[in-house]
Amino acid sequence: MAVDWALKGELEDFLYREAHILDEHRLEDWLDLFTEDAEYLVPLREYLQGDVAPAGHPMIKDDKQMLTVRVRKDATGYSHVETPVSMTCHLISNVVADETDNPDEVNVRSAFTVRQARKLRDEAWWAGRRWDRLRRVDGGWKIARREVHLDATVLPRGIAIFF
Amino acid sequence: MSNVGELRDIVDWRNGRVASAIHFDEDLYRMEAERVFNRAWLVVGHEDMVRKPGDYITNYMGEVPVIVVRDAGGQIRVLVNKCSHRGNQVCLFDRGNVKGFTCSYHGWSFGLDGTLTGAPLEQMVYRGELDKVALGLEEVAHVANFHGLLFASFDPAAPALDEWLGEDVRWWLENFVLGGPVGGLEMLPGWHRYRSPGNWKLVSENFIGDSYHVYAATHISWLAMVQDFMGKGIRIPIITYPGTTDPPMYEGFAGSGRSAPLGMGMVVAGNDALYKRDLAEAQELGPEAVEWVEYRQRQLLEIAKDRELKPYSFMHGGLFPNLGLMGFFSPMIGRHFQSFHPRGPVEHECWQWTMVERDAPQAVKDLAVQRVYQGQHMAGVIAPDDVENFERMVEAGRARRNWDRPFHYGLQFGHEEEGPKGLPGNLGPTPSEGNQRRFYRFWLEMMERS
Repeated sequence: MAVDWALKGELEDFLYREAHILDEHRLEDWLDLFTEDAEYLVPLREYLQGDVAPAGHPMIKDDKQMLTVRVRKDATGYSHVETPVSMTCHLISNVVADETDNPDEVNVRSAFTVRQARKLRDEAWWAGRRWDRLRRVDGGWKIARREVHLDATVLPRGIAIFF
Repeated sequence: MSNVGELRDIVDWRNGRVASAIHFDEDLYRMEAERVFNRAWLVVGHEDMVRKPGDYITNYMGEVPVIVVRDAGGQIRVLVNKCSHRGNQVCLFDRGNVKGFTCSYHGWSFGLDGTLTGAPLEQMVYRGELDKVALGLEEVAHVANFHGLLFASFDPAAPALDEWLGEDVRWWLENFVLGGPVGGLEMLPGWHRYRSPGNWKLVSENFIGDSYHVYAATHISWLAMVQDFMGKGIRIPIITYPGTTDPPMYEGFAGSGRSAPLGMGMVVAGNDALYKRDLAEAQELGPEAVEWVEYRQRQLLEIAKDRELKPYSFMHGGLFPNLGLMGFFSPMIGRHFQSFHPRGPVEHECWQWTMVERDAPQAVKDLAVQRVYQGQHMAGVIAPDDVENFERMVEAGRARRNWDRPFHYGLQFGHEEEGPKGLPGNLGPTPSEGNQRRFYRFWLEMMERS
């Protein structure tokens, strides 16, 4: 069942603030938005026909430590793919939020468009949907699980930003 | 540039100098499609991708879309994905299981072996005169299965695959790259694909021979992070990656003359540091893993029993023209293979898939697969830094004026043979650019054959 309007507004506010944190490149602050047991998953997208086995592994299946590795790698200053740092703009939309069996957790689905720009002309457009499990922690919200469905079977470039 | 004589001057592999024009020139790119991609044996997949009749994958040979399919009789065929009537694509999916292929334009239907099985209104409009035998999907001239790895060549006059690969290449591929003596490899379904700036040769030469960048600048952010996290006691798969730069370690060369070059960087041989490392990791995973690591060591020693030098693993490799091979020193990481498909002179697509050793315990397979997608993968922390270099090379080199000054391939020049003897092919000192020199030598030879 959908959450009430007040809670929906609160959850949207959380997602929009998160988008600003990412676009301002405050990645340590972004890590703080995840619970300690968080999972960040990006499945492989493929076009399959008939009865065949699903993909053997996803593109990304991170726990919080692996997400931290990604953030700290860029912080070394030697991460070429993020030197100079990408300019990103995360546009978050189509937010719907539903209650779960757990009174402290909600399922939030949203759609995103992200434009990534680097150096003079490097550019990638990313679009897709997020399925988030948000958990109420100390009166605020944290991401307990995020599944990112990128709408691309061939990526426009390697992934070195966050969705 | 369409003058082959001129090409010989600029691809001066003998002196380790190759002009960057070969990564930008559109005329050369077109000539290369004819003389390299339409003639070479190309890897189009693995037999695990098409286990049952009706299973297929779609792939490319150069820029030509193909379907790799197992027909009703169990034979693997490679069909050009183009209807014989009006040239429409007949298969739109990445992989699947079907009974045949039907064109969306006029509905011509083809069997799994490419045979034209039906055309709508056939009796009425063709009056029984449609030559269905002649109008099947085009079948790629030659297909061969080398220990599970599927190769195809468009060239009716192509040498047999065994000849194309040569004895040394076959030995290394079978025994090390494909893990023959230890039970072979198992493929995990799914293409992992990305587009990237850069001529396909830039990334192919990186895989076939460029260990220098592993020692040097490209991956230092990852290596710095490994040190940092190890220091903090955080031991997740990307941090506890197998690896060493300690000698003895060699550059591996196989294939010569008319056979396609296989290069392997950082071949671990006569050095049990990696074996000991894998054994220690297996101890953390349990007795089954220990037993397996010991078993595979016995198997590896067995195939080298009459040889003085015992090879254990390799870091990276490449098979001419466009197959990249990641071994990453150890069976505790999945092997990842990738085809670099040309997409115009300054762009390519990387199509990657993951394999693990079939006989490994599940705990090892799970760890091995995580390491693949956390590392040398389009969403990992290793590969994107490589790709960034190719992107920068395109920006630096695109202007016609900048095509002439040759790239420098001088590492271990004249010292390629200064390694231990006794294994097929040749081992030399690492890091080296000897394999890049051989890559361009063979490329030039193919370009010069009219």
